[in-house]
Amino acid sequence: MNQFLLLQGHSKELDAFAHIIEFAIRRNTAVHLNSFTEDSTNSIRIYYVMEGKFEWTINDNHHILYPGDLVLIQPGHKFGGQKGVLDIGKLCWLYIEVNKLEPADRIMFGKWSSIPKNEILAIGKILRLCNTPVLSRAKDAGGILYEIQQELFNQQIGYSTRVNHLLDELFILIARKLTLQNNTHRDFPLSFMNLEQSLRKNLSHNWTVEEMAAMVGLGTTTFTEKVKSYSGFSPLNYLITIRISEAIKLLKRNDLSVTDIALDTGFYSSQHFSTTFKKLTGYTPSDFRKKNMSNGQD
Amino acid sequence: MGKINLNRKDCVVTIELGTSAVRVFAFDLSGNLIGSAKGAYPTFHPEPDYSEQDPEQLFITMLYVLKNFFTETVHPKKYKVLTISFSAAMHSVLAIDKNGVPLGNVITWADNRGKDEAKILKGSALGKNIYKATGTPIHPMSPLVKITWMKNKDKERFKKTYKFLSIKSYIIQQLTGEYIIDYSLASATGLFNIHKLKWDNDALDYAGIAVNKLPELVSVFHPAGKLRKEYQTSLGLSADTKILTGSSDGCMATLGAGVWEEGKATLTIEDSGAMRVVGKEILEDDKQRFFNYVLTEDYYVSGGPTNNGGIIFEWFAKQFGHFTNAYDIDSSMKELINDASKVATGSDGLLFLPYLLGERAPIWNANARGVYFGLNINHEQKHFVRATIEGILYEMYSIGKTLEEHRSIKTLSVNGSFGTIPFCSQLIADIFNKPVGISKNTSSVGQGTFLLSATEMGIYKNLDDAAKTVEFAETFKPNKQNNSIHKKYAAIFESLSTKFSAEFEAISNLQQKNI
Repeated sequence: MNQFLLLQGHSKELDAFAHIIEFAIRRNTAVHLNSFTEDSTNSIRIYYVMEGKFEWTINDNHHILYPGDLVLIQPGHKFGGQKGVLDIGKLCWLYIEVNKLEPADRIMFGKWSSIPKNEILAIGKILRLCNTPVLSRAKDAGGILYEIQQELFNQQIGYSTRVNHLLDELFILIARKLTLQNNTHRDFPLSFMNLEQSLRKNLSHNWTVEEMAAMVGLGTTTFTEKVKSYSGFSPLNYLITIRISEAIKLLKRNDLSVTDIALDTGFYSSQHFSTTFKKLTGYTPSDFRKKNMSNGQD
Repeated sequence: MGKINLNRKDCVVTIELGTSAVRVFAFDLSGNLIGSAKGAYPTFHPEPDYSEQDPEQLFITMLYVLKNFFTETVHPKKYKVLTISFSAAMHSVLAIDKNGVPLGNVITWADNRGKDEAKILKGSALGKNIYKATGTPIHPMSPLVKITWMKNKDKERFKKTYKFLSIKSYIIQQLTGEYIIDYSLASATGLFNIHKLKWDNDALDYAGIAVNKLPELVSVFHPAGKLRKEYQTSLGLSADTKILTGSSDGCMATLGAGVWEEGKATLTIEDSGAMRVVGKEILEDDKQRFFNYVLTEDYYVSGGPTNNGGIIFEWFAKQFGHFTNAYDIDSSMKELINDASKVATGSDGLLFLPYLLGERAPIWNANARGVYFGLNINHEQKHFVRATIEGILYEMYSIGKTLEEHRSIKTLSVNGSFGTIPFCSQLIADIFNKPVGISKNTSSVGQGTFLLSATEMGIYKNLDDAAKTVEFAETFKPNKQNNSIHKKYAAIFESLSTKFSAEFEAISNLQQKNI
């Protein structure tokens, strides 16, 4: 591939793609001081190493990358070369604009994407919760980047549809590879433990089985079967055991209202919380709180 | 007791609060299994040596499993629940405040945070006396050591603590309002005098607590009060349902395996394992290698625990097994067992020390580590598989040998998911040179807890009679030829296990620096 640099607003190739901020291939032949200092942007940045060895700092973590490796830098994350320089080698990068949602760390793609909303949220979740944004041996992602380049420069019939489809494909590939990398598919208890930690960290989130399955890198049917045989519960019922046990702790602390506790622990409303709580424990949340504020002996 | 009528559909429900899950079983009064259910909960490791669980999650998981089990299995079959009886993992500690609210998580048996405290006490004359009085080896697993740790390192929690409970005491208190602990579970705390059946003053003084900081001592047959009204309603139980305090999982596994007479021992191998005998006398051991737990006023369960049971074979399968389907470790382990069966006894000279998790009995060395020994150029992957399994069982055998210094053992009763794999059961028979029986029931803990409840209800005259009803589905006979080969390897195994002691310490220090 030859070197090129396409910039939104300057390069006509990007006219039909407002969401592609930057797309480039560059060969770096000499090390220059301050050629690659740390910064952060509002877009998702994808870097793919084609030749050479690069030492980078991503979100304060040090990474070494070799040809075939890919990094995905999330909006707001700091990224730059070790010691501020760009190492010698050949690179491809692509910046994609995303819409930020509330809560602030959720992302959504624009209308260009044909991935349904729930799947984008799941992909976004995988990207955010992933410990390491680096994919090793991601040659197939390199292939997709090459195809995007071909489509942009050749502009054959249907190219704008093809480019957007390829972008979708790239994000799906990255998400799948990330879950595979984080789950060896050998140790279910370990993968389940990682998932359970994510559930606890985001207990107020309205978790779906699809999202949970995606994080373990399984389809929903297999995932549900595995969770059931491992834990005795369906995924959503397991989630209820975490929600209620966290709620019990908060009820016993006595400094939050029942409604706040309900929302904090992921129930739709205090009504939904009360019903679920009573079905399981026989107590309404406020009766349960009263019982535990006496001396426990009642 | 005259009211009991075997034709009415009455049942006993047992609840096992295990290391990673709660298991619930229902038995009819003849001891037939009606059904079972389980619910898992996680263990947290906020620091490398820590092992904790959330007491509220354990409680909720238990309630949820019970509720589903009753509505799906017990109530539709129109069974009346006469008794609910408990067993629990040993050595847990939960601090609560004066309102009964937990101060942090439950510290489980696997927690090693008190290793410095244990080392100091174990080397002292006081430590020897406390071991003699309490029967619990001085080890970080022991609640005595955990509470001492809290006194030294977590002063604020220690000061705020109204009582130190076991997880079972907490669960029972939630259900009935009573703070109690049975002799059996108490005898695993290192704080209980197993000769006098009272809390031990020396141990209490050392831990810096008074008797009122502990729950009330009761017999395993003690009715633990009435189920609170709210739980009667939500679980669909009547007010006269008896809540029986019950015992520990280890003691119940022994009873449920039918090990009650002279000459018998039980080998439980799940993730971890233990070998146990029952007797009217405790086992005095100068080297502090055995535990002695009280079952009833008349019986002690004695033996030695290992950290490295089936979990080591699972580790091996995860690293080196072949996975066709995602997370299908069962198929992977089956294939490995087939591979192992193609290798000659003794793995053609490859020997494995399974101490990946440090070891308790008989070497009691937390720094011990795994070793493959005797590798030569002809060894293939399948030799590693067989050596791994043989190594896990040689470790059980080394516990057995120390037990045999005190008791004569003629037959073995084996349970637990790893021990009951037929390939392993046959190996156990060959290594120990003793016949091995596999009990008919898959859960010895549940079975034992049922036998305990049934004895309390008068169905059996006493625990001896109850234990005699345990049936064995399968027996494995030892092969003399194989035994003579195993004996030679077991001798090298034992000698290496102690010989490497300095190197174990050195390498474990290096490993700790890398954490």
